[in-house]
Amino acid sequence: MTGPALPDTRLPCGRSTGPLLEQVAEGRAGELDAHQRTCPHCRAALAEFDRLWAPVRAVAADRPQAPPSVVEAALLRVRGASAGPEYGRIDSPLGHTRVAARVVVALARHLAAQVPGVEVALGGLVTDGHQDAGEVVPDVEAGVTGGSTAVQITLAAAYGQDLQALGERIRAVVARGVREVTGLEPVDVTVHVDDVW
Amino acid sequence: MTSAGAAPDGGTDPDDGIVPDDGVPDDGVGREARIDRWLVGKARDGDLGAYEELIRRHRDRIYRIALRITGDPADADDVTQEVVIQLWTALSGFVGSSAFTTWLYRVVVNRSLDHQRRTRRLTGDEPGDDDLLPVAAPERSVLAAAELRAGLEAIARLPESQRVPFVLCQIEGLGYAQAAAITKVSEATVRGRLARARATLLAEMRSWSA
Repeated sequence: MTGPALPDTRLPCGRSTGPLLEQVAEGRAGELDAHQRTCPHCRAALAEFDRLWAPVRAVAADRPQAPPSVVEAALLRVRGASAGPEYGRIDSPLGHTRVAARVVVALARHLAAQVPGVEVALGGLVTDGHQDAGEVVPDVEAGVTGGSTAVQITLAAAYGQDLQALGERIRAVVARGVREVTGLEPVDVTVHVDDVW
Repeated sequence: MTSAGAAPDGGTDPDDGIVPDDGVPDDGVGREARIDRWLVGKARDGDLGAYEELIRRHRDRIYRIALRITGDPADADDVTQEVVIQLWTALSGFVGSSAFTTWLYRVVVNRSLDHQRRTRRLTGDEPGDDDLLPVAAPERSVLAAAELRAGLEAIARLPESQRVPFVLCQIEGLGYAQAAAITKVSEATVRGRLARARATLLAEMRSWSA
């Protein structure tokens, strides 16, 4: 680090520079007390510190997000071999669309979390999948033109509400959302209320 | 006051000081901490979905703390990955005597410092006097990016003991108490180191404009 730290010196008016720096660092440079309102030394010091502090303010204002690929790569390693590739499959005359089970899980979790009364939700797939042309299709497949999926939502709910009604609301929202976004047919949405607070 | 309060994303949770990455402030009764505890409990039981949700909630702050302490985006990427991988097994060691975020941020801080020490040892890239001259004095630049870079570089050159409380309190807006718990020093020590960090930075900014 270059040079010594700025010493806590006294201004000609008798005020110490330390509290002035704290005032600037805490974003209160404009909140002048009675002395500061009329003291040219304090006002000059505050203005100077405020100007010099701009790079720090720039860092504090910058809110970079973790690169998704970085986090996903790490989670992939955590999942390891336990995460077998599961897909839902929707056939069409020109081919088929595969939707990873993880997509359904993430979507269901997101949809459920938006329902009022849900504090936090986790999505999961019902695990009795079966093989189809080398792919594991979540739960059952219905017909030749579409895939089906069964989803389980585990959640903590807000206290003091009708949990059965909450379950119905979640089922409706998740089923509609999964159907609209993925094309898969949610044949079963199980809601597991794990905690209430 | 209990917080340096400089982070622009708002206040801190009176329960444990966290502001989740989605920017939704805590409702004041520790809702976010309760959600964390619920997820931690499930993750410790082997629920990978719960672990992923826990990571989703905190990934940006993990990354930001790593970035501000190491001062290098590539290093911050590495630290973030290491933390996400390490935490899955380390959760079993979390006894819950402190808030999850306090424990998490301690892991991130320690990982970041270790990573930086390791990198500097390998590259011999200890900051010397020549490194202390910024490419461009920030006050002469009209570019916000240059100002940001100057700030990051200056923070990265702070001594570790000053840099960590500065990043936690001044940049991330955590309270003194939580920063003290994370760094395992007293609250008074955090305040003292933060004041020294501010003075050190101001002296450096002043030297640039001299």
